[in-house]
Amino acid sequence: MINNSLLVVVIASGVAYGTPLLYAALGELLAERSGVLNLGVEGMMLVGAVTGFWTVQRVHTNSGIALALAILVAAIFGALMASIHAFLVITLRASQIVSGLALTIFAGAAGLSSYLGNDLNLGDNPARHSFGALFPASWQHWSVVGPILFSQNVLVYLSWLCVIAIWFYLSRTRQGLNLRAVGESPAAADAMGINVTRYRYVHVLVGGAFAGVGGATFTLAITPQWVDGITGGAGWIAIALVIFAFWRPELCLVGAYFFGALQALPSQLQAREIHVGPTELYNALPYLMTIVVLTLVSSGGARRRLGAPGALGLPYVREET
Amino acid sequence: MESAVATAAPQRAAVALRGITKRFPGVLANDHVDFEAAEGEVHALLGENGAGKSTLSNILTGLYRPDEGEILLYGEPREFHSPREAIDAGIGMVHQHFRLVEPFTVAENVVLGEHGSDASFLVHPRVIERRVAEIGARYGLDIDPRAKIWQLSVGEQQRVEILKALYREAKILILDEPTAVLTPQEADALFVTLRAMALEGRTVIFISHKLHEVKAVADRVTVLRGGRSVATVPTADATPHSLAALMVGRDVEINRRVEDGRSPGERVLSVSNLSAAGDRGALAVKDVSLDVRAGEVLAVAGVAGNGQRELAEAITGMRSVTRGEVRVLGEPLHTGDPRAAIRAGIAHVPEDRLGTAVAPSLSIASNVVLKSYRTSLASRGPLLLLEKIREGAASLIHLYDVKAPGPATPARQLSGGNLQKVVLGREFAGEPKVLIAASPTRGLDVGAIESVHAYLREAAARGLAILLISEDLDEILALADRIAVMYEGQIVGEVDAGTATVEEIGLLMAGHAE
Amino acid sequence: MLALERRLKQPRWLSFAVPIAAIAFSFALMALVLVATGHSPGTTYRRIWESAFTANGALTQTIVSATPLAFTGLAAAVAFRMNLFNIGGEGQLYFGSIFAAYAGIFLGRQGWPTATVIGAMVLAGMAGGTVLALVPGVLRAVFSTNEIITSLMLNYAAGYLLNYLIFDSHSYIRDATSPSAAVFPQGQMLPDSGSWPAWNLHLTSGGLFLPLGFVLAIAAAAVLWVLYNRTRFGFEVQVIGDSTRAARYAGMRTRRKILAVMAISGAVAGLGGASQDGDFRHLVDARGLQQSYYGYTGIVVAALARYNPFAVVLVAVLIGGLDNAGYTLQGADFPSGLVGVMKGIILFSALGAEVLIRYRVRFGRPHAEPAA
Repeated sequence: MINNSLLVVVIASGVAYGTPLLYAALGELLAERSGVLNLGVEGMMLVGAVTGFWTVQRVHTNSGIALALAILVAAIFGALMASIHAFLVITLRASQIVSGLALTIFAGAAGLSSYLGNDLNLGDNPARHSFGALFPASWQHWSVVGPILFSQNVLVYLSWLCVIAIWFYLSRTRQGLNLRAVGESPAAADAMGINVTRYRYVHVLVGGAFAGVGGATFTLAITPQWVDGITGGAGWIAIALVIFAFWRPELCLVGAYFFGALQALPSQLQAREIHVGPTELYNALPYLMTIVVLTLVSSGGARRRLGAPGALGLPYVREET
Repeated sequence: MESAVATAAPQRAAVALRGITKRFPGVLANDHVDFEAAEGEVHALLGENGAGKSTLSNILTGLYRPDEGEILLYGEPREFHSPREAIDAGIGMVHQHFRLVEPFTVAENVVLGEHGSDASFLVHPRVIERRVAEIGARYGLDIDPRAKIWQLSVGEQQRVEILKALYREAKILILDEPTAVLTPQEADALFVTLRAMALEGRTVIFISHKLHEVKAVADRVTVLRGGRSVATVPTADATPHSLAALMVGRDVEINRRVEDGRSPGERVLSVSNLSAAGDRGALAVKDVSLDVRAGEVLAVAGVAGNGQRELAEAITGMRSVTRGEVRVLGEPLHTGDPRAAIRAGIAHVPEDRLGTAVAPSLSIASNVVLKSYRTSLASRGPLLLLEKIREGAASLIHLYDVKAPGPATPARQLSGGNLQKVVLGREFAGEPKVLIAASPTRGLDVGAIESVHAYLREAAARGLAILLISEDLDEILALADRIAVMYEGQIVGEVDAGTATVEEIGLLMAGHAE
Repeated sequence: MLALERRLKQPRWLSFAVPIAAIAFSFALMALVLVATGHSPGTTYRRIWESAFTANGALTQTIVSATPLAFTGLAAAVAFRMNLFNIGGEGQLYFGSIFAAYAGIFLGRQGWPTATVIGAMVLAGMAGGTVLALVPGVLRAVFSTNEIITSLMLNYAAGYLLNYLIFDSHSYIRDATSPSAAVFPQGQMLPDSGSWPAWNLHLTSGGLFLPLGFVLAIAAAAVLWVLYNRTRFGFEVQVIGDSTRAARYAGMRTRRKILAVMAISGAVAGLGGASQDGDFRHLVDARGLQQSYYGYTGIVVAALARYNPFAVVLVAVLIGGLDNAGYTLQGADFPSGLVGVMKGIILFSALGAEVLIRYRVRFGRPHAEPAA
């Protein structure tokens, strides 16, 4: 049956595994488009993962409301984590690199997320509610589209909406245009009356919220339980993904599923007793490919069309110019 | 053009500034400045670099907030907390360094930051492009709304800046040194646009330090000096001489180089058929040949952006050369390598003092040995001789009368004039054979200009060959023996500094070769 | 409204007072977190202090935790001083560990004397770190590719190489024979001649052991201090770090300096990896290294030390103490993660405090209502 073919299975699981990457990458994309690099994605995801999980364990209501609430809580806590970074780098002009790494240490696998998980005793039980496939089982048996499109949970479909919304926002709306100007040339944006500080704060915080939701995707959908460091480096892949996708949301979607499929591929190959290179190679590929892509777009012309936002990583200070 | 200056009688004041004061750490940029410009007027704001013109315009556009004083628009007191409030009040600004988003199209730049009832949530590129084209046609600002900014020439980019203001229906337009980047023809076209805007009842505030432009385009002129407003006069009543006196606070004479009866020595620097690419990839220096002899000052005149900066960089190794050769005392120079140029005895006073000539956060002492740290003056083997370096810097500070607390003071804390003394002292200490000086007095006050000029004259008298690159004709006439004029990357003519007239040089600068 | 004004002069006392104030502030903030989650701050701090520094043998353990951070901190400081953001210390440390293990096991089995084996491990570790660091270095020097991202990405690639060598292949540095390795894959134990010495200083009752790695870290700090403050090389690094245009103007070879600084930075991180093998773990501990975040913590250690080599060692000991207390106290009433939270708060406070050194902070409100 075609639905058990390697390609279909790998694509379907690529979509599932790629979804948290997609959320986190979309968030990082928004922050970077405003000119702020946030290396704390892994930490924000873990805090979103643990707080979302805590919500479903402690809220006694029906499954749908509990899960919606959990996603909201994860988003809020993700944004809360991002607000520390935002304050340090936007208002206090601290180094974006150091602050982002500090955020990962603070919130990450040996920090706040682990502390909360321990203190709230979340590690013992599986999730009381989790996201399952949205569509009826009969749809899932349709060939090819069944497993890939109709056996996914609601977070997957929601992420598609987010991609469309962010694409639309960036390319068609006035605020999106202003945002891009803030990231490319804050001095030009400022002179045109755009509030650079406000745009940066808003997008770094929204970026954190997306990372929080990405983290909760792990604990509420992919493996509905809490384990320390459950995201397993997804935050770093998300940072790579933004570059891999040339800071464009629609390419983030493609890249996320591609990277997700690379994660799923080794176990599928093993199950079929096909031996093509070590697992670790597939795991390392997203990082290596990002290096190659980044190098390719480092030259003059390509940098202008495809490269990073012009002011990425730089604080904006008006009175010192 | 000149006939446009007729209506001197001001109508209602569109802008009035009363007692504006702005302090920065260590600097009093504006000191109780008063200023008024009327509706339908082109009003020039004249002053030397550092007189407070830019600060004043930044206050008017809401970028800075004044520490004291008030702003009145059409008689109403206003306070701007952000650029947006100033834009909404009808003030538009064309900055000297353009505030454009390079990867965006012209149309996108124009609508940036638009808000309120006119601004739909969605951006409709076609509608905007049509409106931008309409406004452009009305004011003679011809430009393709779909072009990306980085594809445009500097003159075209300036037109985009003006379009931005007109699109927002600015009633008051401020232009900061708009002609510095324009050819004379482009400048004339700009003046036509500005007059057309004034005729419609808009107010144009034209910031400049060039006297003849002020005469050509403005109705009235306000002179700033040392952060204060010293006078407002109708341009019809003013002469370049009277304006210059107001600008510097005393009578100035345009001095020619004192004839000291030297005859130039052997040929030291010889540049032949040199070509080099500019930042945008197109050739900026085209087939330039020139010679400078020992004890001679050869000045390269020209409107900014005609390849002079690139020429200086090509000779000093800062920019790679596509064709041609540079020789020092007959020896060919390995081009594109600053270290080779330094070794060959080429000293360089670059245009961008704080950004290129020094490492701004490092001490004076470090900057004094910036080029000589490899020599026995500053190091033995791989180790630095810190004590010797400090002593060397202290003696330079003493010798050149640099106002600084000591050798450990970071370079960025020095005033422009003192910083330039450090740079000159360092460059002369290397016992160079030739000096390339690019705009060596830009942004300096009068006292500092005089001492820089004195140092350059002395150096020439000692037998140094000097290539002076400047946009300031007064400076060129004061220092040069010969004047070469650059236009669009080429040397279009050469004249003798003793006999040349300003008109003659001006024609060459506009590209009219004999 | 918060307004920042650049200080014209930075008083010297500020650069001491501000970090201390920042640490005090972060302890106060942490106390709030502890109270909010039902722990007693007084007791917690006392227990941390004891198990980090004063308890029997605590200081020795603290130095064990501090050693890798000193190396990765120095590696970051060396590069960051030139505005070269090598955040690949993590992966470079893995590479150092791998290379040193190959050298130690191979030469140890050949029966070489201890001193030679140790020397070879040191060199191999440095070479390993350098090899990995030169990838972003070359990409930056030749293609101007952003080294922040490339060095970050290589950390994960290096991590997977580590996993492959230890868990998923029959590599030379994997243990294939011992009974425990049959149950769970692990690195090949180093021969005795690859075990680095430690010296007992007899300073505290339980003895204070200084491992060779820590001594090497102090030596590295001294060498780097001299290199950066007293040599032509250091002068060039300072100029390039401050203004690349000025460096080019002065005829400095910026590309070569990028490569050299990346190589030094990688070598120092790689030495940290060799020390993990030789001093503490005695095998390539793939999982342990990856769970420790030495590379990333090193970057913040360097930032806290304001990129001064000696201060890096000092800060490494303080953060190492915190880590050590975390391991020792871990349990029901001292959740894991608490130490990470504390480190994070200290780092955030120190980063924020940096602003006080560079800028004067004014709290100002607009004095009039906005015009309608």
